[in-house]
Amino acid sequence: MHHEETFTDRNVSEQSAYFYVDIEAYPTTGWDKFKQVVSRAVKGELFVGLWVVMREMIKFDIHTVQYPKEKLPIGPRYRAVHKLLRLWESGYERCIGCGLCEKICISDCIRMDTRIDENSRKEVTEYSINLGRCIFCGYCAEVCPELAIVHGGRYENASEQRAHFVIKDDMLTPLDLLKAGEQNEYPGFGAIIPGSDASVKKTPLAY
Amino acid sequence: MINFTINGQPVIANKGETILQAARKAGFYIPTMCYLEKTTPCASCRLCVVETDKTDGLILSCQTPPTEGLAVTIDSDRLRTERTNIMRLYDVNHPLECGVCDKSGACDLQNKTLEFGVSAQHFSAKDQHRTIENWGLINYDPSLCILCEKCVHVCNEIIGDDAIELQFGGYKSSVIPKNSEKLDCTFCGECIAVCPVGALISSDFKYSANAWELSQIPATCAHCSAGCSLMYEVRHTSNSLGAQPKIYRVTNDFEHNTLCGAGRFGFDFDEQGEKNELEFENALNALKNSSAIRFSSLITNEEAMILQSLKEKLGIKLYNEEARAYQRFMSAYSSISGKSGFGGTLDAIKQSDGIIVFGGRITTDNPVVRYSMTTAARHNGAKVVYMHPLEDELLQNVVTQFVKYEVGTEEGVIAMLAKTLLANADISDEMQEYFKELDEGYLCAESNVGDEEYARIAKSLGRAKRKTLIIGSDVLNHKRASNIARLCAMIETYTDFSIVVVAPSVNTIGVSLLCDLDSDMNSGSVVGYNASGDYLMGSVGDVNLRLPSINAQEGTFVSINYQVLPTNVAIAFNGYVLNDIANALGLEAKNTIDYTSKLPLNQGFSAKAFDDLGNFYGSFGEDNRGYILENVDVEANGVVEEIEDLPEFNGTVVYHCNPVNQFNAYTARCKQLEKDTTLRGSAQFAAAAKINDGDKIRIEFASEMQERTFVLDSVLKGTIALVPAYDVAFGAMNDKYRFEKVKIMRMGSES
Repeated sequence: MHHEETFTDRNVSEQSAYFYVDIEAYPTTGWDKFKQVVSRAVKGELFVGLWVVMREMIKFDIHTVQYPKEKLPIGPRYRAVHKLLRLWESGYERCIGCGLCEKICISDCIRMDTRIDENSRKEVTEYSINLGRCIFCGYCAEVCPELAIVHGGRYENASEQRAHFVIKDDMLTPLDLLKAGEQNEYPGFGAIIPGSDASVKKTPLAY
Repeated sequence: MINFTINGQPVIANKGETILQAARKAGFYIPTMCYLEKTTPCASCRLCVVETDKTDGLILSCQTPPTEGLAVTIDSDRLRTERTNIMRLYDVNHPLECGVCDKSGACDLQNKTLEFGVSAQHFSAKDQHRTIENWGLINYDPSLCILCEKCVHVCNEIIGDDAIELQFGGYKSSVIPKNSEKLDCTFCGECIAVCPVGALISSDFKYSANAWELSQIPATCAHCSAGCSLMYEVRHTSNSLGAQPKIYRVTNDFEHNTLCGAGRFGFDFDEQGEKNELEFENALNALKNSSAIRFSSLITNEEAMILQSLKEKLGIKLYNEEARAYQRFMSAYSSISGKSGFGGTLDAIKQSDGIIVFGGRITTDNPVVRYSMTTAARHNGAKVVYMHPLEDELLQNVVTQFVKYEVGTEEGVIAMLAKTLLANADISDEMQEYFKELDEGYLCAESNVGDEEYARIAKSLGRAKRKTLIIGSDVLNHKRASNIARLCAMIETYTDFSIVVVAPSVNTIGVSLLCDLDSDMNSGSVVGYNASGDYLMGSVGDVNLRLPSINAQEGTFVSINYQVLPTNVAIAFNGYVLNDIANALGLEAKNTIDYTSKLPLNQGFSAKAFDDLGNFYGSFGEDNRGYILENVDVEANGVVEEIEDLPEFNGTVVYHCNPVNQFNAYTARCKQLEKDTTLRGSAQFAAAAKINDGDKIRIEFASEMQERTFVLDSVLKGTIALVPAYDVAFGAMNDKYRFEKVKIMRMGSES
């Protein structure tokens, strides 16, 4: 049998849910307009603000950040220009060339080439991101199964051209920085949840 | 017809069908890992187990035919547990490298693992150290191999190379090259195609792209007349390599069709062009001022139509000696058979139980004919008679009788063969008289084929029910080609043999049907389209105006199945196409494919538009590719002529024959295909020609000279050497008789 759903009555107009705001009439004559301007402009608050500025001036303790000489620290999960990370122990590239970042990228700005290397492993030969297209959504970092592509903190990517690229060499942690322990892990989307080791199920090795 | 039930529902199976086949046709799903439609069941995965009311244990549905009234259960808790356990065993120590594996995304193991919800490893085995093996064009990774044996079955039953086998050793088992350290085969790559996991992969493709990134473009192979269906898999390259589209690999619908190595590995023959208006003007002027267009058969039907229309419009002549020879052969053939074409197909060969191959080195000329013969031999126990002056090693597992005749005596041999096969046929009195009058002694002596050999053919094929005669391309340019054609037609008309005439190039048949060809007198100025001429255009060699190669064109071909097959653009071409030239010369068609629906009905074409042509196989192997050309009735007014004196070929004789996986100027350009340009001969040939292995030699043909290296081939026998033709200018030598008397000189020794 056909069932008819009963809807709550959403016709607000009948229940007088709306009311008119009591707005003063707009000034019509020149004199009324002048009075309104003066009453709005000349108020005691002005001097409060002026006093704060003057007080801080006398203190000589300025909080203005002197950009670009000085930069504010950004949040660790901020999504700026990408980085490609290396494995801590061996120094190998983490990227295995699975192509998931290329596939998931909604602005289609990642391109890569892979090949089989001398040790029969998959090697990423070319990797580029078109920053002109990238919307820094973070999907690539989230989908990466190896925590290889992550977002870094470099947010200055002004360019003279609409299309401008970062390539693998720009993004990959240099070996000397890695050895100096200066590769930062990314705590944003896709990173390992703290304590996730406990949830790993081990393969039985009963032989 | 057998009536039985699956899960309580009535199902009808044809005789010879297994439970699995009947179930799939009826829409029931039974999972399999090792089942391959075109081979006998491997029966290695045991995933297809079912329960019946007449058996206690589980039975394999892939190899068991149903009996009348059988009640089959294909889904129960017991079966599900059984199948899940099988999948758990498959997944034991299977490398967790889906992230890099080439098969990921198109992997049977991945699919079934997810289907059965195997998320943890319940069983364990000590892992082995297994290294990736490089077998030339093929890479084998034993740690990924699930030992389903599909590759072994297809190599043995379909291809006939019998090059790989399973090395049994429990958990250590792996696939190994048979009787050899390294893989020694024709590199068809069919094992790669059927591999359900990433164990067998093209070494060129390995780790270069993922299945989901590649767009598949259905096309038809451009290399031989079999017209196989294939998919060009295209992806862009990275930015630093130009971000241009590139063909990464070729795949095929391996359940229903088979591809040879040239089709699979020979795909990178496209060359980009540009729109140079000045050169376009030059081309137009050249066409306006020349007396003829010489072209090869590496063109589509639509282009052939354009050339024919240009002929009518400009009064220009059309030269294509290869297609003209085919035309002549078929018109002589039709004059006896009363049909425009021959009656056999590749499928007919596959279903045959008696096959005669005559006058062609079929294994390299048309590999799919060879595969069909292998299938027939393995599945139907077909008797295969191979008649040729040269023995072919690649056919040794298939051929039951080799008949060696002398070079040039084809007319005598086919006459004797016709006499043998027509012995009890209902032929006219004149023809009976004709065969009675044949000078058997002379024909047998000159061709070096004795009476007893014909008697043996008659005996071994006597009991065969479905018989095929395959005519190779040797006879097309034979001096007596027309009479050979008439005798072949006699065999098809008056016996139960069906005949396949193997055309030399991809669209020789199409050109021969569409173009009104003129005899090539080699006079006046000629425009060459993928052929020699005074002004050159096309996609082969150093041309003035570059036109797209076949994988950058859309259009149709006519295969030896008399099927009109569509092909598509894999890589977009930026330059001019033949249609632009034709339009500038007064024809009117927006696209080349506008001609598809205008192909002549009187030749058997149908008026279908290009976009209405399918290019795929159905789930059960239904051929939905293009359409079959109608075999038109023609007037049968031909008369078989007397046999002329058989010619003798003494001295140094070579045979124009391409090495495996080489066909034309396109394959010569492909990176992966082996390019053997040597003259190969036996020790006997070397002794007669006074040359040694590795000698640089100069071969003097009637019309030209070639410089090559001589290689002593221990497999070859006899006094005839093989000279490749794919590497000569424009990649073809199909305009003359394939055996040729030559002079061979060692370089440096002439003077």
